[in-house]
Amino acid sequence: MSTSSLGATDQLGTPPAGPAPLVAEIGGGRWGDVWRAISRNKKALAGVLLLLVFVVLAIFPGQIAPDDPAAQVYTPALGPSWHHLLGTTGRGEDVFSQLVWGTRMSLVIALAVGALATALSVLIGVSAAYLGGIADGILSLITDVILVLPIFPLIIVIAAYRKNSGLFTLIVVLGALGWSYGARQLRVQALSLRSRDFLESARVRGERKAYVILFEILPTMTSLIVATFLGSALYAVLTAAGLQFIGLGDPNSQSWGTMLYWAQNGEALFAGMPLWAIAPGVCIALLGASFALLNYAFDEISSPALRVRKLDRARIPKRLPPPAEAPQAGAGPVLKVEGLSVAYATDAGPVVAVDDVDLELARGEFLAIVGESGCGKSTLLYAIARLLGSPLPGEIVGGRVLFQSKDLVLLEERELRRVRWRDLSVVMQSAMNALNPVLTVAEQMRDACRAHSNMSRAEIAERSREVLRLVSIDPVHLHSYPHQLSGGMRQRAMIAMALLFTPDLVIMDEPTSALDVVAQRSLMVQIKELQERLGFAVIFVTHDMSLVSHFSDRLLVMYAGQVAEMAQTRELFDRPRHPYSQGLLEAFPSIRGPKVRLLGIPGAPPDLARPPAGCRFAPRCAHVQPRCTAAEVPLTSVNGSVVRCVLAENAP
Amino acid sequence: MRPRGERALSEALLRTEGLTRHFHVGKLLSRQTLHAVDDVDLTIGRGEIVALVGESGSGKSTIARLLALVYRPTRGEIWFEGRPLSRLRGRKSRLAYSAAVPMVFQDPYSSINPAYRVSHGIVRGMKLHRGDLSRSERGAELNRVLDSVGLVPAGETRRRFPYELSGGQRQRVGFAQALALRPKLIVADEPVSMLDVSIRVGVLNLMGELREQEGVSFLYITHDVASARYLADRILVMYAGHLVEEGPTEDVLQRPKHPYTQLLVSAVPDPRAELGLADARDVGEPPKVVDPKPGCRFRQRCALAVAECETVTPQLRELGDGRRVACHVAG
Repeated sequence: MSTSSLGATDQLGTPPAGPAPLVAEIGGGRWGDVWRAISRNKKALAGVLLLLVFVVLAIFPGQIAPDDPAAQVYTPALGPSWHHLLGTTGRGEDVFSQLVWGTRMSLVIALAVGALATALSVLIGVSAAYLGGIADGILSLITDVILVLPIFPLIIVIAAYRKNSGLFTLIVVLGALGWSYGARQLRVQALSLRSRDFLESARVRGERKAYVILFEILPTMTSLIVATFLGSALYAVLTAAGLQFIGLGDPNSQSWGTMLYWAQNGEALFAGMPLWAIAPGVCIALLGASFALLNYAFDEISSPALRVRKLDRARIPKRLPPPAEAPQAGAGPVLKVEGLSVAYATDAGPVVAVDDVDLELARGEFLAIVGESGCGKSTLLYAIARLLGSPLPGEIVGGRVLFQSKDLVLLEERELRRVRWRDLSVVMQSAMNALNPVLTVAEQMRDACRAHSNMSRAEIAERSREVLRLVSIDPVHLHSYPHQLSGGMRQRAMIAMALLFTPDLVIMDEPTSALDVVAQRSLMVQIKELQERLGFAVIFVTHDMSLVSHFSDRLLVMYAGQVAEMAQTRELFDRPRHPYSQGLLEAFPSIRGPKVRLLGIPGAPPDLARPPAGCRFAPRCAHVQPRCTAAEVPLTSVNGSVVRCVLAENAP
Repeated sequence: MRPRGERALSEALLRTEGLTRHFHVGKLLSRQTLHAVDDVDLTIGRGEIVALVGESGSGKSTIARLLALVYRPTRGEIWFEGRPLSRLRGRKSRLAYSAAVPMVFQDPYSSINPAYRVSHGIVRGMKLHRGDLSRSERGAELNRVLDSVGLVPAGETRRRFPYELSGGQRQRVGFAQALALRPKLIVADEPVSMLDVSIRVGVLNLMGELREQEGVSFLYITHDVASARYLADRILVMYAGHLVEEGPTEDVLQRPKHPYTQLLVSAVPDPRAELGLADARDVGEPPKVVDPKPGCRFRQRCALAVAECETVTPQLRELGDGRRVACHVAG
């Protein structure tokens, strides 16, 4: 954060909610899905086809190769011809036949070493992670020692000691020395799984350790295990060829490495027979490439974040652009959002997460935006602050954000930097993620001041103390690191940083939801007091309506990317007009008053990739009518509120 | 929901005595002891729903894990159906206890193995704990528990993968897993805190229904006092590893005795009431309980604190009507 202009807004804790979790795409155990994923991925497809060619060669060499590869019956050193596609060797064998027969050994080595090394990686890596403690220490030490051993020279020594000892020794030696890299990776992933509740759930159920490792941990690591296998296979092909090339294999065996060995002995290049070396070399490269391609492809398939998707704007339903009007300076709203729409690119096409939102914010007003997860409230916030990108992807596909007589949507990054933090600042949900852990509070404030102003050192120090006092933190904490502050203090330090330049608008994304109720109330009271004292406007996003009931002036209820209802806070609590607002209000129990049985709202919010026709709440609504699903329901104004419901159209 | 507190107290299903769990923190030379749970006596009756509330770090989840045999107590004893758990010997008796006291976890997105279908955890539980069931009986039982937690049609849900389910549905799978073991007490650790507001009540109602239909007791661990009021017969309030107050839910929440309970109740946001600003100056920072000295752990935040609070740890005192409070002053 030290060098960034966005400072407090750079990193945040909540990743966007994706549809399927990482492991599910492959670990789902559905072979149909796996095949579909492979056939959609060009790299995977190329890798599979290439590997398939080699597998066919390895299984049916007798049918494909015209000659016995070991028969030294032809004129030595012939060039390519119809009889000898790749010519003959210095000893009078057919090069093409040798190549075909050599496939078998390379493939067997690749698969056998791959399997052996992977089995060892899994056994050692996962056991180390799961058992922990001393077992982890010893196993990790062994892994690290093997990892730093110079493998190739070691293998040469071993192979030379047991010269011409054949395929089996080669596989065992390569396998036994090649597992360490995979083991480390698997250990790390298993460690990250160790804190997952499903493992604790299995332990609480009474499962034995071996069962937990084999049947609970391993299936969720399928993609990494596959990657380990492919990586070791690749390593085996290359290392085996290298060993055979320097003559440490059996020189009478049929393999690509042996072909290289004989090519070297026969001085292929001086003899004018480059094909002796090129042919096996290309084969080694291609087999290696097929494993590498598959490895890449598996990475891409199993972590969708690596895939680059492009937003297909043509597939987004068109909205009429809001009529242009000259932005006014001076009095009037501090922020005006008109027809703002945001879309995400997904594999299934664009998803409109914020759909045509209008809102206005007066100077010093407190607007709360409430809704369930996935309703688009955070996306809306990020779009207003022009912070979409990473970690919350998405693009503004329509509308305007008028702030200080400028349309933020059209501003260049350089101009945005002048506005952000000075006039519009952002407070994120998780202060621990938004603050830089290796800088003190004072250093972070200094960086922010330097990036956004030309205050002197003394002015910065003075201002930093001032804003900390504003949020009732003792200025001695200026020299504390974030981890030395409690959760509530960190969150207040974030607010202090947002107030460094006395902005006109502070945007807050669930700043209190990580806190306990007592700390939460204290922070809310503080925010409200500061707001009244300094006169900034607030947009406050939360999932908890009751939290803001005493603090916000107006309330915007979002549902499935749209404004469902916007009204004065008191009015909305007393007379909710949208059935969804009514449902939300009746969904949480109260601490006072009569105890009544609550019902919540049946069903779940819709998938925004396929929003229901007409009113998006209709499938969960108790008052649904035919016209609700017939056409989209527009926003209706009722007594200064706006409601997206057909019931409100008839209301007085 | 009918309060059942009176009847339940007479026949305890589970009882703890001086339950204590400490953790070692810090490096070898600067080793300190974190007192996660200190001297907790609690009782859960048959068919009773008991709420355990407190701030994060107050020791609620540690108690859940002590009851689920994830941790061993540092001191103290857990009695289940009159038998002490420290005398559980052998895998068989531990398994029998695990089946009687299963646990439901907080995060529905991490508590089900994503690599398996929904049926996996439920069937595994039956294989481990109800070995007498035949394959077809297990299938029937699978459908029954999915039905009882409202995942209908069961025949279809059992084939789903977790990522095809919403958070609320996943949490129901958690309860189905517990239910398949024919439990007597389900330890539910913040089962609704990660769910969306509109579906939370559904899961709370489910717990109420399971109690009515299957006679299961619940230890409902939560930081949400309002949901505890909605669901529980009795409430236990924890602060910094100590149990500070307990009693029938309605009684405790309407007339809290311990100053911490009063603070907690006043801070619950309630749109239907005036904003309680009396204690709004309290910034809500519970102490870290590392190598504590005797004395009340709430005293620094307490308006009522007297000299005695500095030196003597208050013990739970009977106030009558099933209420107890650990405070030198209140009562």
